[in-house]
Amino acid sequence: MKSLVRTIVAVALGAALVAPAAAQEIYIGYQAPLTGTQSQYGEVFRNAATMQLEKFNAAGGVGGRKVVIVWEDSKSDPKEAVAIGRKFVDDKRIVGVLGDFASGPSMAVGEVYAKEGMAQLSQTASHPDYTKISKWQFRNITTQAQEGPYNAKWLKDLGVKNVAVLALQNDWGLSAAENFQKSFEQLGGKATTEYFNPGTRDFRSILTKVQRTNPDAVYLAMFYEEGALLLQQAKQLGMKVPFYSTSALYAPKLIELGGDAVDGMKLTTTFDANNPAANVRAFVEDYKKRYGQEPNQFAAQGYDATGIMLEALKRAGPNATRAQVRDALAATKDYPGVTGATTFDPQTREPSKTLAKMEVKGGKFVVMPQQ
Amino acid sequence: MKPLALIGTVLAVAAVTAALLLSGSSYAVQVAITALIFVILTASLNLVTGTAGLMTLGHAAFYGVGAYAAALLSTKLGLSFWVTLPLAGLVTAFFGFLVALPTMRLTSIYFAVATLAIGEMIVVAITNWTGFTRGPMGIRGIPSITVFGHEGLTVNLLVVLAATLVSVWAIWRLTHSYYGNGLRALREDDQCAEAMGLNAVRLKIEVFTIACFFAGIAGALFAHTSGYISPESFRFGESILLLTMAVVGGLGSVPGSAIGAIILIVLPELLRGAGNVRMVAVGVVLFLCILFLPKGLFGEVSALAFARNQLRRAGLGWSR
Repeated sequence: MKSLVRTIVAVALGAALVAPAAAQEIYIGYQAPLTGTQSQYGEVFRNAATMQLEKFNAAGGVGGRKVVIVWEDSKSDPKEAVAIGRKFVDDKRIVGVLGDFASGPSMAVGEVYAKEGMAQLSQTASHPDYTKISKWQFRNITTQAQEGPYNAKWLKDLGVKNVAVLALQNDWGLSAAENFQKSFEQLGGKATTEYFNPGTRDFRSILTKVQRTNPDAVYLAMFYEEGALLLQQAKQLGMKVPFYSTSALYAPKLIELGGDAVDGMKLTTTFDANNPAANVRAFVEDYKKRYGQEPNQFAAQGYDATGIMLEALKRAGPNATRAQVRDALAATKDYPGVTGATTFDPQTREPSKTLAKMEVKGGKFVVMPQQ
Repeated sequence: MKPLALIGTVLAVAAVTAALLLSGSSYAVQVAITALIFVILTASLNLVTGTAGLMTLGHAAFYGVGAYAAALLSTKLGLSFWVTLPLAGLVTAFFGFLVALPTMRLTSIYFAVATLAIGEMIVVAITNWTGFTRGPMGIRGIPSITVFGHEGLTVNLLVVLAATLVSVWAIWRLTHSYYGNGLRALREDDQCAEAMGLNAVRLKIEVFTIACFFAGIAGALFAHTSGYISPESFRFGESILLLTMAVVGGLGSVPGSAIGAIILIVLPELLRGAGNVRMVAVGVVLFLCILFLPKGLFGEVSALAFARNQLRRAGLGWSR
């Protein structure tokens, strides 16, 4: 009897020791502004990434092993982002990192990942130098180097000759405006750029200035907070000039805040919540059901970034090192995401995606037919 | 001089030992580096706001001037850290001097608003002067600190630690001297101080310039340890953070500044486990601190008693 008890105890102990090893989890880190002034973006990333992760783990994970995301809040503060970077690097279980949101913190922490050798995939960092930090940096956002020329050609084809560009004075706005202006001028058009500082609320003086130059179109490089205000004030001033924008204004909030002043604006996008494709429908419906709102472009970007990372983990296998995860990420080809098929250039680590044209019509974003 | 030197040595040795012990965890080292840089910043702000009683709301902008000076000097002219460190301090001190000339005739809230405006102007200038500062793109590829060919996180920590000890020592000696007494007299009643023969405007300009020098040193340390800087690190919010550190530690108290800076950098990191409510928790801790210790965790009175005690035992004349 005694020996039986002993055997049972031994077996139980053994099982207890073996069991966690067999079901060992794979860890990745995700840093985003979950508190602070930009927490609305961090929250959306967490929602989208959680959905993607649950779907992936339910489908068997990486060879039966589940993936766990370790969340850290950076408040979009470069010094906190760097501390998180160190924390993730110290944690030997973590094999890859997603985030951060804004380019500043993403670049600051990028120096850490470059030095210590950890793949970093930001869903949104659009700074032109971001992927130039090292071979460890990836992003899942079309850069303005792709969007700028695309939009320049679009406007040129419509016969627009003279464009006024209004851009947010930050790294993103600068690259958006410069890329557009350069390509538009190469195509023989004329463009002038007017910058405003982050936090601007009154655009009347800048709009009056634009009105005086009498452009054929106005090109907006900004986010929905500024975009909604600017378009409302333009309407109040009675401006009739057509407005165009980068994909950054694709957010349901723009219409919510801007009302009918937004109607008629045209923009490019990689994500369309009304796209009839099965994967986009499933994503939009599931997101609405869980969080009670329509996903915006940022949600889609976070969802796909997480998906790309998880697919890379799967290809790298259950015991992959950080270097193997990086190589698997670099080999991403035609990932069928909700923001279009995504391929990473193995040399520059820049994503290329299919772009679509959109128009705001009757308070809705409507995809324009491809010409 | 002996007991003071002894305390200094013990502190330095303890700090170096702690630094070496920490080096196992690069996360802890990173947090320690940030905390030490903020110790310099808070101690320098405290010299102006705590000791001389001039509330400044733009200190982070001078920290930014130092960081950009170091970053530009090293990336454009290829100067090494050992040259850019003092130069960043001097450039920032010069900026501080220029700013001080017109503003030092202001007192109380008017001075606060003037520094707020100047701080914003500096950050907006850094953001918009794209040709020189690369504007919102920031500056990357700032060379890291090298000591006899060695570099890395531990080297960074030891250098920042040494710079912090020297800076805090200098500020401590300034605060607890006849000069420091003069500053305190200004704070209590500047007209009375002038009647006693102190040149109030000159004293204010001097102390502001000195504080900016140390902010510049902190900026250079930040630029060279992080490798990338952008304007968002020097905005108004950081100035308020520095002010909070000084108040929580104890206005007018140098040890208080160090304690306040360390708490406000380390506490949010320790509370990471609390998830979304971590900043709320930090707020609650600060609120309780102010509620129960309105003079700060290590208030000026205790700091003065401590300094007096040390200086008397060292045989220095000030306390007699």
